[in-house]
Amino acid sequence: MNADLRRYIFQDTWFLTGFSLAIVFAVTVLAGPPLVPFDPWDMSFTPISPPSAEHFLGINDGGQDIFSELIFAIRNTVTFGLVSGLVALGVGVIIGLVAGWLGGFLDMILMRLADVLLAIPAIMILILTAALFRPSPFVLSLILSGLMWPTISKAIRAQTLTLRESLHVKAAAQIGGSNWYIIRRHLMPEMFPLYLIGLAAKTRMAMFMEASLAFLGLFDPSRKSLGMMIGYAVKYYYMDIWWNWLLPPIVCLSLLIMTVTFLAISLEKVLDPRLKDALG
Amino acid sequence: MSFEIKQLSVIYKDGSHSIQALEEVTIAIAPGKCLALVGESGSGKTTLGKACMGLLPSNSAKEGEISVNGRRIDNLKESALNEIRWDKIAMVFQNGAVNLNPVHRIIDQVAEPLIQRRLSGRVEANLKAKEALKQMGVTEEHLYRYPHKLSGGQTQRVLLAMAMILDPEIIILDEPTASLDALSKVFVSGVIAQFKSVGKAVLLITHDLEMAAGLADTVSVLYLGQVLETLPANDLLFKPLHPYTLALGRSYPTMTTARDLGGIKGDAFYRLVHQHGRHDQDKYKHTHIQIPDSSHKDGHAPPAGCLFQSRCTQAIDRCKNEKVFLNEIGDHSIRCLRNGIADILELKCVSKRYGDVIALQPTDLTLKCGEVFCLVGETGSGKTTLAMISAGMRNQDSGTRTFEARDMDQWAKREYRSIARRIGVIYQNPAESISPRFSVFEAVAEPLKIHKTIRTGESIENRVSRVLAQVRLSTDPLFLKRYPHELNMGAIQRVCIARALILKPSLLVADEPTSSLDPSVQAKVLKLLLDLQIELGLTMLFITHNIGLARKIGDRIGVMLAGRLVEVGPANMVLSAPRHPYTRLLIDSVRGLVKNPFKPGSELAKSAGCPFVPRCPRLKDICCKTPPEMVNVDHCQVRCHFPLTIDRLYES
Repeated sequence: MNADLRRYIFQDTWFLTGFSLAIVFAVTVLAGPPLVPFDPWDMSFTPISPPSAEHFLGINDGGQDIFSELIFAIRNTVTFGLVSGLVALGVGVIIGLVAGWLGGFLDMILMRLADVLLAIPAIMILILTAALFRPSPFVLSLILSGLMWPTISKAIRAQTLTLRESLHVKAAAQIGGSNWYIIRRHLMPEMFPLYLIGLAAKTRMAMFMEASLAFLGLFDPSRKSLGMMIGYAVKYYYMDIWWNWLLPPIVCLSLLIMTVTFLAISLEKVLDPRLKDALG
Repeated sequence: MSFEIKQLSVIYKDGSHSIQALEEVTIAIAPGKCLALVGESGSGKTTLGKACMGLLPSNSAKEGEISVNGRRIDNLKESALNEIRWDKIAMVFQNGAVNLNPVHRIIDQVAEPLIQRRLSGRVEANLKAKEALKQMGVTEEHLYRYPHKLSGGQTQRVLLAMAMILDPEIIILDEPTASLDALSKVFVSGVIAQFKSVGKAVLLITHDLEMAAGLADTVSVLYLGQVLETLPANDLLFKPLHPYTLALGRSYPTMTTARDLGGIKGDAFYRLVHQHGRHDQDKYKHTHIQIPDSSHKDGHAPPAGCLFQSRCTQAIDRCKNEKVFLNEIGDHSIRCLRNGIADILELKCVSKRYGDVIALQPTDLTLKCGEVFCLVGETGSGKTTLAMISAGMRNQDSGTRTFEARDMDQWAKREYRSIARRIGVIYQNPAESISPRFSVFEAVAEPLKIHKTIRTGESIENRVSRVLAQVRLSTDPLFLKRYPHELNMGAIQRVCIARALILKPSLLVADEPTSSLDPSVQAKVLKLLLDLQIELGLTMLFITHNIGLARKIGDRIGVMLAGRLVEVGPANMVLSAPRHPYTRLLIDSVRGLVKNPFKPGSELAKSAGCPFVPRCPRLKDICCKTPPEMVNVDHCQVRCHFPLTIDRLYES
């Protein structure tokens, strides 16, 4: 299966685009910071200068190199997005599977909890928490995942309810498979597309959220972030800096979100053997 | 004159090996009665006949008593025996013509005993012989012919005439009809019935079960020299107690059975008794059953166990080691540790409702070990619910389930897996019953992995290959890596059968296993299922809406209507002479005789009475008020106030 899959997946445009972008971002995140030409916190350059051979994207109002700042900002945004997305996915999948498969009272409690969380606007909680308690970005990302899991677990639970009526799950239960076995071998693999969609959506949402909070200035101002960069750049919008200062973080944010989406679409298509023939 | 055999054992010696042909056979025949000995070839039927006549070969050893009217004849000298032969006991040998002297005319041969014993002169003897032959229906023109000019049926008549010429009291007939056509068979049967009516004791050795059932009073079933069951002839085809007798009945092509011939799993040729060393002590002796494709060592049977256990559909561990004695149960006597055919599954008053839909009214269902039970009925009649409850996949709302003599509900609560291992399920939609993410190998190996029942020294791969070979699928590595959506329906259903069989279950529940297949694939899959059922000795609960199918594969049929079993009985009886009007409607619909099976709904449908009321052609007042109870009619059970009888069937 693997050899086939590899051959197939590298012919898929969605995947190739997403994958190339992902590699660029991965390199940026992993290898970027040590390689940047200047320390992004170094304020020793002439503020608001246009791009030059030395400073690819020029200098911002604080006298910092915008390119170096951008690299560090991408890293922070990606980390925040992935951590929140993964934690939300993990919690959502576990709760969704448990609620859907075991059902009964547990299902009722968990789903009412999810309803309550769904009713609370995440951005409001985050703004309040960030403003009042000034938690670290990691704690903030955990809080965000704690607010994001309900949609994932609702989708997983719904799919579990469908699957538990499907014959192969019933057959496995008839043979005597344990709850854990059925969840692991029959339910979890069937829902792979849901994980990808969930992870993509939540990562996207978290990256956006991070950018928004930073844009509003709710993070430590010394922490580099795409949102914060946009926020500062917008203040100097009347000057002709939009293409070298405002545009790069916006493009990066958009590309990040596109990367996640493209990868999700292509993997979903490939990992479901029944969709393989249908989607081409 | 009564004829008795007590504890007769016969051993044929052959060097260090001896063949145990008979072991402690006891039978008794009163005058005017007939006892039939039935059994597969090699079971010792003919040896018994020969032993009675004192005709055993010189390498045989005999123990036990044979007596006529209380006088022992087994230890008589040859000359004394000669007086008894033909005079008191006569035997009609097997294989017709070989028993006649080819160089003498038949009338001379028939007259020979008379002349030999100086009972009459040649002329008178010939007259008597002529008379006897004519009685047997041999025509004048054949009297003076030589044996090779006679047909098989005529030869048999000659042999009968010969046996009767001295008017013996006891007649032993060895396969008298084996090579005869149906009409000659009727004639010979008539002759035997006549023997009985004039007070002769008849020992009928035959493998023709219908004849045994029709002619004999008592039937003894012989297996490898042992009597496994002695039963009244009436019960032979319908109420046998021993699994071997049932299996024999299923192998016999009667005109009334609709099911394809069953056969019995495995083979048995003969029993060898080995005598190693010089000591004549028990520890040097062992018995083993010679079967094809097995070396001396494989064939060893524990000396004490049941002889039939290796082929039995209900053998348990005890059967291997414990000595089995003949046991009286009612008017049967059987040699079975489990006291005859056991019930593998017994449902009592089980019912099930989903919300406000009553899927199953309180229903009783009993499955016997080794049988194929077909559930038929229209859609929504509760067939699948009943099957799922039987398989332990759903729990009933009320009632009890007993599986292999244990309370299934408690068993399932404590140790569900050990039940799951013993019940295989095949589903209606094979493609959906396998996870689309499992390859063929993973799908077939799944039960093994869940149960971790692999013995050491045996790999999962071997088990999977073996079971795939059993269902006639490829064991090629490439095939094992295929996914369900790459296979055709027939192959997927076989994979499902393999999955159901890999844990070696004793009960197989098949819910419309072939309804999604086209007829040619269906035929193959069904044939496979039935072969496996016999080969593995499975009990099968087969759910189908196709009555033609049920007729082909079922030993018994249960007809369901509105969550109730309305008729249960042997397949041929239920289908050839349905007692319940609903069964008749189903059968007529299949035959295309029913134009409009759904009458406009009426208020009667909701009445407290019989659920068939709205469609019943023979409605009476009581039907609308009281729901009918299950009543026994012949060998069937019917839930109807006015069950159809054969006459009524044709009258309406």
